[in-house]
Amino acid sequence: MPHAPKLAICNVRHAFGANRVLDDVSLDIAPGEFVCILGASGCGKSTLFNAVSGLLRIDSGAITLDGTDIMGKPGYVGYMLQKDLLLPWRTALDNIVLGAALTRGVTREDRAQAADLARRYGLGEYLDHYPGAMSGGMRQRIALMRTIAAGRELMLLDEPFGALDSQTRLAMQKWLLEIWSGLKRTVLFVTHDIDEAFFLADRVVVMLPRPGRIARILHVDLPRPRDIACMASPAFMALKAEALSLLYGGPDPSASMSGAA
Amino acid sequence: MTRAHPLLVRCGFWLLAMGLVLALWQAVVMIAHVPPYIVPTPVETIAELIRHAGQSGALLWQTFSETIAGYLLGAAIGIVLAVAMSEIRLFGRLAYPALVTSQAIPIVGIAAPLVIVFGFGMTPKLIIVAWIVFFPVVVNVMDGLARVDPDQINLARLLGGSAWRTFLIVRLPACLGPLFSGLKIGASYAVTGAVIGEWTASSKMGLGTYLLSANAQMNTVGVYGAMMLMTLIGVGSFSALVGLEYMATPWTHRSTAPRWLTRLRGAPRSDHKE
Ligand SMILES: Nc1ncnc2c1ncn2[C@@H]1O[C@H](COP(=O)(O)OP(=O)(O)OP(=O)(O)O)[C@@H](O)[C@H]1O
Ligand SMILES: [Mg+2]
Repeated sequence: MPHAPKLAICNVRHAFGANRVLDDVSLDIAPGEFVCILGASGCGKSTLFNAVSGLLRIDSGAITLDGTDIMGKPGYVGYMLQKDLLLPWRTALDNIVLGAALTRGVTREDRAQAADLARRYGLGEYLDHYPGAMSGGMRQRIALMRTIAAGRELMLLDEPFGALDSQTRLAMQKWLLEIWSGLKRTVLFVTHDIDEAFFLADRVVVMLPRPGRIARILHVDLPRPRDIACMASPAFMALKAEALSLLYGGPDPSASMSGAA
Repeated sequence: MTRAHPLLVRCGFWLLAMGLVLALWQAVVMIAHVPPYIVPTPVETIAELIRHAGQSGALLWQTFSETIAGYLLGAAIGIVLAVAMSEIRLFGRLAYPALVTSQAIPIVGIAAPLVIVFGFGMTPKLIIVAWIVFFPVVVNVMDGLARVDPDQINLARLLGGSAWRTFLIVRLPACLGPLFSGLKIGASYAVTGAVIGEWTASSKMGLGTYLLSANAQMNTVGVYGAMMLMTLIGVGSFSALVGLEYMATPWTHRSTAPRWLTRLRGAPRSDHKE
């Protein structure tokens, strides 16, 4: 890798009692990279994110952001948890600007930017709605906007589009790619959805459960910007086949024609 | 068709319920031919209160001001104590048994020594009311603070929130429900505190002192009148709190923020579909 990594995860191990959830996980993420983590339920994806975000103190290993140790220190990376965690007493708009409210106070400009963001992505009519009056998909989008508005260079997104219908999901995926390339952020993205992973990512990390570990890292050399058509390309199909066989067993992946490492 | 405002509906039910109680009281007294010096009818009682409106007003005002002043003092102490006890663990652990003990002492037992220390007048009455009121507030707010969703606290940590801002923005609003529960329980106890205060420490005539003297003079209508006015204070402050809670927690009954709130904060408004 030409650059020093943005994020370096080295030999991370963590167990909850006898349950080895992360077993020697190592992963380097380059600046500006978009990496998806794909894996069955319970294989430790959220646990890995909790560790990187500093919420969880791991048993052993090292995690550095731009070379500085961030283990057990929340606040350095943006993290959208699997639960949307919107504050019920704040409106959609006030939830988007929560990061500013918690650190330095919300300015008129923060609010205007948040309103722009919400308007652009179909929530303009819901700025002064309370979360209790919004659908699961809307809440997820607000939570994502809150994470983006917090302005961290590295964002961890844990199944951000899990509650969306396929049309909105596609729109949101394109939007996320725009934001990512426009703002030059680095993204780590957890998903169950194989199509989603390959559509978005530069690399897809396939994890396996019991103990939670990295099975393989697949490079996605599809040209950008991508549109839906690329999902029908042979390269895409080959990647998908390889991921499927890793996740569900089946034909030996090395016999398939993928160009992945 | 426009729907009646939910608060109005609630108000209606309150009035209806109280009307029913009064009607039942009137009916029982009339049907059983209870003589007025044993139990007067509500109509007589209210008529008597109106006949002596000046005196009733003065008594009501005296007891009301004791109640409200003591109540505010007690509520403020309760909130501050709850926050301090939740934030400073050692203090919380030491203070909790003391709090519980404070409520185990019969309130009449506290009244006498307070008079010895502070003499007759407002101070001992305030302290007695506050003594009763602060306890449900402390207990409820402490419970509320202890039950804030830890994931919401984690979110605040992830966003780099300072302790103070996290308290104001996340923890405090999260325990508004328990806070108001404590305040409402306190409101219904406060009048009792004021009356007991008057019985032991009064220099001025309030509803409590009046009740004692009316009772001594076998003035049954006066006793019932005083009782009604005391009830009025309790019910009035309780309803005021219900209204306040309704205003302070718009998200529990509205889908959008009230317009005055968004305007006040200069927040951009939602777009509207044509
Ligand atoms: N706080 C905890 N205490 C004990 N066990 C935990 C805890 N958090 C997670 N686990 C266990 O760790 C394992 C991995 O959980 P994790 O939430 O990381 O899975 P995941 O890959 O994110 O799954 P999903 O896709 O369903 O979200 C599970 O077996 C879970 O039971
Ligand atoms: Mg998870």
